[in-house]
Order: sequence, then structure tokens, then C-alpha cells
Amino acid sequence: MSVALKSWRANEGPKHLITMVWIAANVFLFWKTFMVYFSEAQYYYLHKMLGLGLCISRASASVLNFNCSLVLLPMCRSLLTFLRGSQRVTGRRVRRLLDKSKTFHVACGVTICIFSVVHVSAHLVNMVSFSVRYSEDFPGLNVAQYRGQVTHTDTHMDIFFPGVTGVLLVLVLFLMFTASSYCIRVSSYEIFWYTHNLFIVFYVILMVHVAGGALKYQSNVETHPPGCVQNNLSSWTNHRAAGEKGTESSGAPQTVCQEEARFQPHFPQTWLWVSAPLCLYCAERFYRFIRSSAAPVTIVSVISHPCSVVELRMLKSGFKPHPGQYILLNCPSVSSFENHPFTLTTVSPFVDDWRQYKLKRLYFVWVCRDLQSFYWFADLLCGLHERLWRDNRPDYLNVQLYLSNTQGLQSISEERYRFLSSRLRIGRPKWKLIFQEIGRANQLKRVGVFCCGPKGISKALHTLCNSNPHTETAFEYNKESFS
Amino acid sequence: MGKIEWAMWANEQALAAGLIYATGGIVGVAGQFRGWQFAAFGIAAGVFVCLLEYPRSKRGKGTSVERTGQYCFTVCVNAFGPLTRNYYVRAFLHAALCVPGGFMLATVLGCVCLGIASLIYLSAAIHGEHWEPILPRTEPPKRVGDSIKEPPQNPPPRPPPELRRKKADKLETAAYDNPMSVTVNE
Repeated sequence: MSVALKSWRANEGPKHLITMVWIAANVFLFWKTFMVYFSEAQYYYLHKMLGLGLCISRASASVLNFNCSLVLLPMCRSLLTFLRGSQRVTGRRVRRLLDKSKTFHVACGVTICIFSVVHVSAHLVNMVSFSVRYSEDFPGLNVAQYRGQVTHTDTHMDIFFPGVTGVLLVLVLFLMFTASSYCIRVSSYEIFWYTHNLFIVFYVILMVHVAGGALKYQSNVETHPPGCVQNNLSSWTNHRAAGEKGTESSGAPQTVCQEEARFQPHFPQTWLWVSAPLCLYCAERFYRFIRSSAAPVTIVSVISHPCSVVELRMLKSGFKPHPGQYILLNCPSVSSFENHPFTLTTVSPFVDDWRQYKLKRLYFVWVCRDLQSFYWFADLLCGLHERLWRDNRPDYLNVQLYLSNTQGLQSISEERYRFLSSRLRIGRPKWKLIFQEIGRANQLKRVGVFCCGPKGISKALHTLCNSNPHTETAFEYNKESFS
Repeated sequence: MGKIEWAMWANEQALAAGLIYATGGIVGVAGQFRGWQFAAFGIAAGVFVCLLEYPRSKRGKGTSVERTGQYCFTVCVNAFGPLTRNYYVRAFLHAALCVPGGFMLATVLGCVCLGIASLIYLSAAIHGEHWEPILPRTEPPKRVGDSIKEPPQNPPPRPPPELRRKKADKLETAAYDNPMSVTVNE
């Protein structure tokens, strides 16, 4: 059981740690802002007027600030690729974390939606409070134009500026969120792409939204301590202030106010939170655009393979790919604005000296539905096998081919592909047995599992990596991710 | 990129809009806003829209992904026949349901979102889409060939009798008949 713990810690540990840190940061921000508006002196009068609605709306706003700034960072792909590739900065664990950047983006996005609902609801309650507890004593604090504006008016009330921008923000968020589900991305990607690019409208309106200044703080707390007695105030207010001074054990006698309370709107904090990530992301998009249009791509050859597969060989000056990287292709005649990821299958020139890697053995398991699919890389695999045989490393590469379509009698009949035909098995692979075999043959070693395929296989492999109690081997799970 | 399936997007939007409508209605009723009756209607309309929109339609082509537990909703919605299959009806229904929400602050967001969903449904209807229930496929169970029930009528093929005859001088070593000659080194 301790071995499964080793694999589990390698696979899940860093991810869960980051999640805990992020949740803790959100909770801390919510709590801290809540307490500021609940008990600080400069919000005393505002809190008396609005109650809990004030605290919840501001606390959710600070969580929204945090997540609106974080949500952009995982999408700075060039920056993440640079971090990922620089060997001094990142190790294996960090690289695996960077693979999860899209998941983090989704988590921040969902949090933004949830807290927007909380924020809007709290502000709706605030609007009622502004109207019901309209203050004649502190007219500078009011947002409603007269007492009872919300409950008694027949027509819709004049929505002040943050209200209008707030409604627009929710609409944009609604459009972005509803088009981002898995189904829509799979069936009509362009709907997702075009609505998600409304994010720039969202951020512009957000910057304007916080400039409304509806909620104000008291700027002269020293000369007008909250709850002090004013000479020209109504006796009701003085009585109330006196009553509260009694319950708050301040100990000091009632002070007389030296001057009237002054209120002013505070500096929009959102600008501080959001500006830097937004500039970074805009710079990133600009950099991507410049890099893609700097040098043209020359298509060297187009090769047609069985099962409707096309191989494109391309050249681009100044472009040095590494093995395992993916590129984003844009084909203007299909769509001018869309880019779709494709993993590179060959990079050249590539110094493929297997000795430079710490890899001891490679197990290659390939599952296809159609026999013809194996011909895509038949030459490559056979060539690799020949080379390893000549270099006296015949056990380096272990190939297993599985044909999941069990109808009829199928085999690879070409003589030059004998290496493959003897390794072809009919039926789906039994992953548990494969893992057991690999585990037994590689005890006390670290095995990296790389999965490229549908969700079902990915889940099965992930579970097997984490629960492998039979051998002293740690299985580290990685999956192809275009994040 | 192929035909866009507008109805799928409209469905997601309508489901989210129903939730927003219902939430706004709850806030409106709880806060005793002026016009809380509209908020109460908003709750009812929002819940109704959510129930109507929960079952996903079958895609025109490609695999359809069901929502969790949508089968009973599919059966209910399918029972209404052309009323629910036709997207023109849905578009006008959503448009009608969203109008009362515009009279009250708390439900105005739900009204606008449902209105947008109604427009997308109209677009889907104009493109000729309609709602198809995702029902489990009742495949006939894979039939093993009928011949397995009948025993074979004829014995398996054998070489002609003259080849089967054992060589008399090698009788003690011949443990079985070799229909074909066997060489020592293959």
C-alpha cells in the first residue's frame, strides 16, 4: 500500500497542494474583506445602513478581483512553454503541474461565475437597504434618491452607473460560460472561440464598473469618530449612538464630533489586481501574432495515408521544435481566426541518440480500430527497431500493437513489417496485466506513463497508476494536454 | 468547419438562464421588492425552463452526450410530441416567459438571458433543427449463427483412403495417421 502512496504522491500531490493553497487564498480574502467592512471605523455608518449585504458584496468582490486576475495567467501559453522548456527553472513535478493549466483556468472561471451570483444578489439587497434606510443625517452616503425609492416606485428605478455595467458584465459572462461546455467545444468549436474572445469586452466593462463609486468610506475618522454625538443631529440618532456606545465597551465618555462626517469613494482596487495580468496576456497575444506572421510556412509535402489521414511536412525559418511539442495550426481558407493544436510527429534534424536520455526501456502500446492505421508509422517503428538491433540494444524498445476491431482475420502481411506483424494482437489490451508485467520487470524504478487517447483509456490508466500494490515501482501518469 | 448546431448552444443558454431567472426570483421574493409577484413568477418560470431544457437533444451527426440522469426528463419531454420537438414553439415560449421578468429589478437579468436563448432557438428553428430524444438503443442481441445448434452432418474432410493407409513396415512407430508427409528439418 505504501507503494501506491508513492505513485499517488507523485501524480496527485502537487496538484492537490496548489488547489489547497488557492482555496485558502480565496477564503482568506473573503474573510479579511468581510471583517474590514464589518468592523472597521471608516465603514461604520455604511455598515449601519446596509448591514450584511455590504460585507458579502464587498467580500465576494475581492474574491472576484483575485480570480479575474488569476484566470488570465494559465492562458499565457508562450510564457508557460518557455517556463516548461527551461531546464534550470523547472523539474518534472512543475512540468506536470503546468500541464494542468487549462484545468486551473476552468476552476477560476467557475469561481468567477459563482461569486458573481453572490455579488449580484448581495447588491440587490443593498439597493433595498439604500432605499429603506435612506439617511437624512448623512446625505453623502446615500445612493437612493429618496426613502422608499425601490419598494414604492411604480416604474423601474433609475439604475445607477455600476448597476448598468454590472448587468452588462453578467450578460457577457453568461455568453462566455454557456458556450464553454464540453459539448459545445466538441460540436461547434467556433461558437466557443468567438464568445470566449468577448473576454476583452468583459475586462473593459469591469474597469469602468468599479469606477462608479457607489460605496463610500468615511475619510475623517479622527475628527469624527463614528458614533460620536453631533450637536445638530436628531435626538433619535443621538439616542441610538448613545445606546450603541453603551454596548460597545469603549470605556471613553461620549465624544462630541468636531466636524461632520465626510465620505468619499475609495480607489478602485480592481485596477491594481487586473491590470498586470491583462497587460501580460495582451502582450502574449501580440507576441503570438508577431511570431506567427513573421515568417511564412512552406508546405514541403502532403502525403495521404490510409483511413483518411493526411501527413503535412512543413518548413518555417527560425522555428526549432523539440520532440514532444505541439503546434497551433491556422488555415485561413478554413477559418481566419481559429488555431487548433496538433502534436508534431517528426522533428528534424533531431539528434536521436538514445544514450543522451536516462530512459532505460520504452514500452510502446498502440491500440487502433483499423488495421490500416498501423501503416502510418510502420516504417518508422521498423527502422527504429533495426537501429536498436544494430546498436545491440534489442530490449530497449518493446512494441505491442492491439487491434480492437475483432471482426475477421486480419494481419500485417508485408515481409518488411515482420517486426510489427509478430507483435500484433487482436482485441483490447488488458492494462492491468501490462502494468503488472512492467512493474515486475522494473522493480524499484520510476516508470513514466504517457497516454494519448480517449477519456476512457486515460481514466483507466490513471487509476492503475495510482493503485498498483504489487511491485516496488512508482508509475507517474502524464497525458497529452494542449494547455 | 461544418454546420453549427445552434440548438445545442441555445439549450445550454436556456438552462443557465432558467437558473438565473429562478435565483433572481428568490432574491426578489426574499427581499420583498416592489413587484415581488413578478419574482414569484420568475421562480416558477425558471424552474419550468430548467426542467424543459435539462434533457439534451440528439445530435444531427456525431455522438450525443447525455446529461446525468436525463432519461426520465427525456421521456416526459418527448411525451408532448410536436410541442416540444419544434424549436419555433420553444423560441416563442421562452420569449413569452421572459417578458414578466423585465418588470422587476431582481429578475431583469433572467429576462435578458432567457431572451437571448429564445433568439438562438429561433435561429436554430430557421436552420431546420428539431429536438430528438436520446433513447437507449434496443439492439437485437448478437445472434450466434444458427448452425451452432445443429451438429455437423458430415465428418471432417480427410485425405483419400490410399494415403491414409499405414506403411506396414513402420507399424510400430506409426502412432497416428499422417495425411501429409513430414520432413525432419523444417
